[in-house]
Amino acid sequence: MLFLRELTPAEDTALVPATPRPRRHFTIGEAIALFTLGGLIVLAIVGPLIAWYSPIVPSGVPFLPPGSSGHLLGTDNLGFDIGTRVVFGLRISLFAAVTVTVISAIAGMILGTIAAFVGGWLDSVLMRVTDLFLAFPATIVAMAIAASLGASLSSSMIGIAVVWWPMYARLTRGEVRRVINSPHVEAARMSGTRGVRLLVKHVLPSVVPTVLVTASLDVGAVVLTLASLSFIGLGTPAPAPELGLMASAGMQYILSAWWIAVVPGVAIALVALAFNYVGDGLRTVLRAKGF
Amino acid sequence: MSVATLDNLSIHYETPLRTVTAVDQVSLVVEPGQCLGLVGESGSGKSTIGLALQGLLTKDTTARATGHLTVGDRVLSPTDNSSWEGIRGSKVTTVFQDPMTSLDPTMTIGHMLGRVTRSSQDSLRWLEEVEIRSPRTVLKAYPHQLSGGMRQRVMIALALARRPALLIADEPTTALDVGVQAQILKLLTRERDSLGCGVLFITHDLGVARAMCDDIAVMRNGRVIERGTSDRIFDAPSEPYTQRLIASRLTLNVERAIPLGMPESSVIASMGEALRERGLDADSVTERWERRELTWTEFAPPTSVAQTPALTLRGVSKAFRSGSMFGAKKQVLNDVDLIVAHGQSVALVGESGSGKSTILRIAAGLERADAGEVSVAGSIGSGVQVVFQDAGISLTPWLTVSQLLMERLANAPQTRHLDQAAHTASARLALERVALDPSVLSARASQLSGGQKQRVAIARAIVVPPTVLLCDEPTSALDVSVASIVLNLLNLLRHELGMSILFVTHDLAAARIIADRVDIISNGRIIESVPAEDIRAVESEYGRRLLDAVLA
Repeated sequence: MLFLRELTPAEDTALVPATPRPRRHFTIGEAIALFTLGGLIVLAIVGPLIAWYSPIVPSGVPFLPPGSSGHLLGTDNLGFDIGTRVVFGLRISLFAAVTVTVISAIAGMILGTIAAFVGGWLDSVLMRVTDLFLAFPATIVAMAIAASLGASLSSSMIGIAVVWWPMYARLTRGEVRRVINSPHVEAARMSGTRGVRLLVKHVLPSVVPTVLVTASLDVGAVVLTLASLSFIGLGTPAPAPELGLMASAGMQYILSAWWIAVVPGVAIALVALAFNYVGDGLRTVLRAKGF
Repeated sequence: MSVATLDNLSIHYETPLRTVTAVDQVSLVVEPGQCLGLVGESGSGKSTIGLALQGLLTKDTTARATGHLTVGDRVLSPTDNSSWEGIRGSKVTTVFQDPMTSLDPTMTIGHMLGRVTRSSQDSLRWLEEVEIRSPRTVLKAYPHQLSGGMRQRVMIALALARRPALLIADEPTTALDVGVQAQILKLLTRERDSLGCGVLFITHDLGVARAMCDDIAVMRNGRVIERGTSDRIFDAPSEPYTQRLIASRLTLNVERAIPLGMPESSVIASMGEALRERGLDADSVTERWERRELTWTEFAPPTSVAQTPALTLRGVSKAFRSGSMFGAKKQVLNDVDLIVAHGQSVALVGESGSGKSTILRIAAGLERADAGEVSVAGSIGSGVQVVFQDAGISLTPWLTVSQLLMERLANAPQTRHLDQAAHTASARLALERVALDPSVLSARASQLSGGQKQRVAIARAIVVPPTVLLCDEPTSALDVSVASIVLNLLNLLRHELGMSILFVTHDLAAARIIADRVDIISNGRIIESVPAEDIRAVESEYGRRLLDAVLA
């Protein structure tokens, strides 16, 4: 083809030969994290369908260690099967964390974009409100909101969402302001594109990847925060299989039956870690692709 | 004995996909006191040779080298770090293109020089040597407090204070204003004579190379294709590529009424199309171009355009707040009057900071004037279009050429009501006019070369022909051969479509090619206005300086 001319040998590299080419693929570690995450999600979806114990009905002798026959990950102090509860717990944690992150990211993005695009007093008002939220320690505010709504999964989700969006509002506002002054947006303005179309076609495609990467890194943090709220008794009440709650309940047996706390703890860590690695990889790859 | 030799040197880069040959069996010798010019367009391998001679390829793990390289009596390996001890930064020093990025921003000039000279007395002497006014103040200054020209002088002082055997000058004047450029070249020549070091002068600019160098090696695709004394290369180039490079070089003697340089197949196609449309003879375009009989006026429509104003700026002033919220306001434009008539082409020439780009941005409506009025004749929306300096970043990276052109067609009042098929036809026609194949429609900016990007940007600007086309240094980022294609296309489009052009540039030679009238701007005021054919008749002192700077 005429236009996709082969670069002349030197052209390809001659300008900055000392810089290695940007990485366009996941590393092995990130690929493993991606598979782990995929596996955890599949497990969370299909696990409950194939589990042969109930998560809230005792199914064996209490305090069975991992590896016992019929109870691969052991049983807890009440004789619940820990494996089953972790699978159910993953379902709850992943669902809650992804929902909270998506809601706060979308809310933050909308507010941040409006602030940056409209500017003026609206920008000032929105950003001062954002600052107000950011000024308080996030977890404490989330705790207060969750506590005032009464301990339940949804109230802890609401609590976290309320403190989580301001970060996205700030991030989006900065990104939109950066992109909106770049030459390609000026050129688009010159060709007559204005308002929402300008935002959607020429600005947001370069903002969304940044938010997406931040969000994927954040899911891990939200899982941890949700777990900590349950841990202090503000999340799903017992005996629901919530990972943070399980870890919290298991703490009193940590010396005699360590697996009751450690198995759900490892599940939490695995989810957080996998999301972090995947988010990191996503960032590198998207950056190499020019976003 | 020579200060540096390259013997059959080849450099490859190993990329995951393939091996790229950047330098292909190059042999060169630099003698003491000699200036050797390495001239080529981007991607010719000239910068890789510069890096190899500085021992900077050793950091690049993808580089492989064969052949020999000697500096003085030391045989060196371009890729082995241990051999460069005591050579890099002492026997071989460099003046880079951008002194701002190569000077340490956290150190004063005195501190940097002191690390080389070991005495403030010597540091002072070196600053005087490179003709820095008030050297005592400069010693205490940080790089960001100096102008571009001053920084480059400091860079030269730093490079020379080590008393190198070989000085590598890698495009040392490309980032500087034309006036400063000439002073820096003069300084480099004088210092070379007094120190007797060899100079390897890397540049894309043939004019600069001729002014500076005794011998020139012309590079293309990693090979030296022609070498000889500067005068021989210029007066009797033997390679067709060198001939093309020299022919496409802009001087004040180039004929204005005919296309630049040698016939270029891509431009010829557009010309033929334009003539055919008008029912004129389109078959002999190449021959007539070669015989220098093809004139721009042939492409103009038979009806002459009225000499009424197309773009009018009256009493326009603009100030920018510099730095912080409380910083002083800087007056960028002072009561500027500018009229561009229908079909007329005006060039606005000045150095950086003169306010020329601000005028263009105000005319485009991208910036609002503090005082004065701007009016564009014709319907709003199609009135003005802009071709930006850096086409690469003016094209939205994730959209295809087709999407960009279609967007313009869907927005413009003249074409808004037309259907998809008519839009596609217009987009194809616009690409044809800028000599691009319709297959680029599906490409994104990253898949195009620099010249192609600029042509796409022009296609977007003219797909709905504007009354006035505003061009902001559209050729300054391009290689000479590509720049001449873009200038030819602009001239062709202007005559074919009867557009007015406002062409902002720092280069009088380019201004003279495009414009009927040249306005010279300095410190936010238009100080002089001359017809392009009498450009040598500029009277203002500033204008004469710009004129002298076009190294002819």
